[in-house]
Amino acid sequence: MKKVTKEVLVDASNRLLFTMSDEEFDLLLEEFDTLTKQFNLIGEIEGVDEEKPMTFPYEVYQYTLREDIPCKPLKKEEVLKNAGSVQDGQIKLPKVL
Amino acid sequence: MNFEAIIGLEIHVEMKTKSKMFSPAPINFSDDPNTDVTLLDMAFPGTMPVVNKEAVRNAIRMCNALHMHIDQELWFDRKNYFYSDLPKGYQITQQDRPIGSEGYLEIEIDGKLRKIEIERLHMEEDTCKQLHFSNYTLLDYNRAGIPLIEIVSKPVMHSGEEARKYVDKIRELVTFSGVSDGKMEEGSLRCDVNVSIRPYGETKFGTKVEIKNLNSIANIEKAIDYEIKRQSELLLLGQDVRQETRRFDESKKETVLMRVKTDAVDYKYFTEPNIVPIKISDEFVQDAIDTCPELYDHKLNRFINDYNLDIVDAKILLNNIEIADFFEKISSFSKNYVPISKFVITEILGYLNKNNLLIKDFKVEPKYIAEMVDLLKTGEINSSQGKEIFAKVIKENKSPIVIKKESGVSLISDEDTIRKMVIDILAANETLKADFKAGKDRVKGFIMGNLMKQTHGKVNPAIANKIIIEELKK
Repeated sequence: MKKVTKEVLVDASNRLLFTMSDEEFDLLLEEFDTLTKQFNLIGEIEGVDEEKPMTFPYEVYQYTLREDIPCKPLKKEEVLKNAGSVQDGQIKLPKVL
Repeated sequence: MNFEAIIGLEIHVEMKTKSKMFSPAPINFSDDPNTDVTLLDMAFPGTMPVVNKEAVRNAIRMCNALHMHIDQELWFDRKNYFYSDLPKGYQITQQDRPIGSEGYLEIEIDGKLRKIEIERLHMEEDTCKQLHFSNYTLLDYNRAGIPLIEIVSKPVMHSGEEARKYVDKIRELVTFSGVSDGKMEEGSLRCDVNVSIRPYGETKFGTKVEIKNLNSIANIEKAIDYEIKRQSELLLLGQDVRQETRRFDESKKETVLMRVKTDAVDYKYFTEPNIVPIKISDEFVQDAIDTCPELYDHKLNRFINDYNLDIVDAKILLNNIEIADFFEKISSFSKNYVPISKFVITEILGYLNKNNLLIKDFKVEPKYIAEMVDLLKTGEINSSQGKEIFAKVIKENKSPIVIKKESGVSLISDEDTIRKMVIDILAANETLKADFKAGKDRVKGFIMGNLMKQTHGKVNPAIANKIIIEELKK
């Protein structure tokens, strides 16, 4: 796993478009350090990699699927209501690639 | 030094369902942007994905067509990444337990069947459509959530030709099974190719290059062949092949760099917690298989055996499932199967090509085409009259029998009239009978030519031929 350093956190905050103070970075680094230690401890448990994730801890299944019947969609105005910018009925963004 | 190319393909197929994979939003390719959208497609909090039954049925049909093991427990996973085409921040897919695994299909190479192994087939949702301009991007969420199947081959192909035939076979299977319309030009079948090369005898794989955005089957072959040549030249010059993503530039007929790959992206997959695992019954699986529309190979055999078509004509008709269906509709009105196939191939396809139309634009009733072929076959009209009548049939979508009556088009079929004309020709050319008896068969053609000249091509050739022979033998 990638080591969480201050550079990694600065890069992440830049990508997520928010600013943090040095104190906040230090606090976050401490938290990551604690978390990493705890995960390493769990990693020491024998056979832990073979355990299934506990997303569904009980054997519960569903047996039905949705029929392929289309519903009435949202009105275009509603779809675009929260968009900051719209052009030709589409959401307009600064160029992404 | 000779190199061996190692090629693997990932094919995404948009399924032909009425609603999306996890939401009931409608799917219509030609709708205005952002009009086929529900709250779930926009990732509004509190919305929950529910799996589309028809999409699962389609996936099972493809698994069966590809001889795959079908997992009757459906588990979905989240593939996490942050990008504007994905409002949720993750795509729902099947990473750990694909519905289909360990399959194969067969292609013909140099007259021999070659088995191409397929690693997995899984279901997932499509992303939204992005249109990139010089300094901005537009988003259309109509495509977000359309059901996809992804088919991943093992890296077992070695040439552009093999890859082209593999994709063509997949396209044929998805279109004939009704799973997808398989249109590469509209993006309903998309293909990414991984190519590496290594010296013959080497067991370790070379550095893999990915080619994206291939929009036609022909371009797949061209792109791969170019890439094999490019990588071979690099290695022969003592240079390394970089791990990168390239695209095919159609005008230059070469692959061009899109980006260099550094680390593999970590998508942090985990089980989708909003979809409780689904068990599908044996009956559901069997019903999906039993009700699958007839596949290409079966249809080809039937066209050859039941309709007596030759393999070339059968393949031309089956090149487009809608044309094959139209042929079968016509054949339900007349047993002149071979003349019908010829008429479809020469007259109808010729008309469509000349006018740049698709078969769906051809509005003539199949029954009228059957009547048209019968009129020609029985000799009630000749080919030039046939062309005139067919033009009116296309224009008016009207019975050719009615058009023939209304326009007074007919051939001289009265035996006495034809016989009198033949006798007159023989009387004017006294040596003809002797020539015929001496084995000069062209005499028949000479008399027929004279008859056609006298009647401006309106004599019934079948009846005329019979009478010519009778009179020559007297």
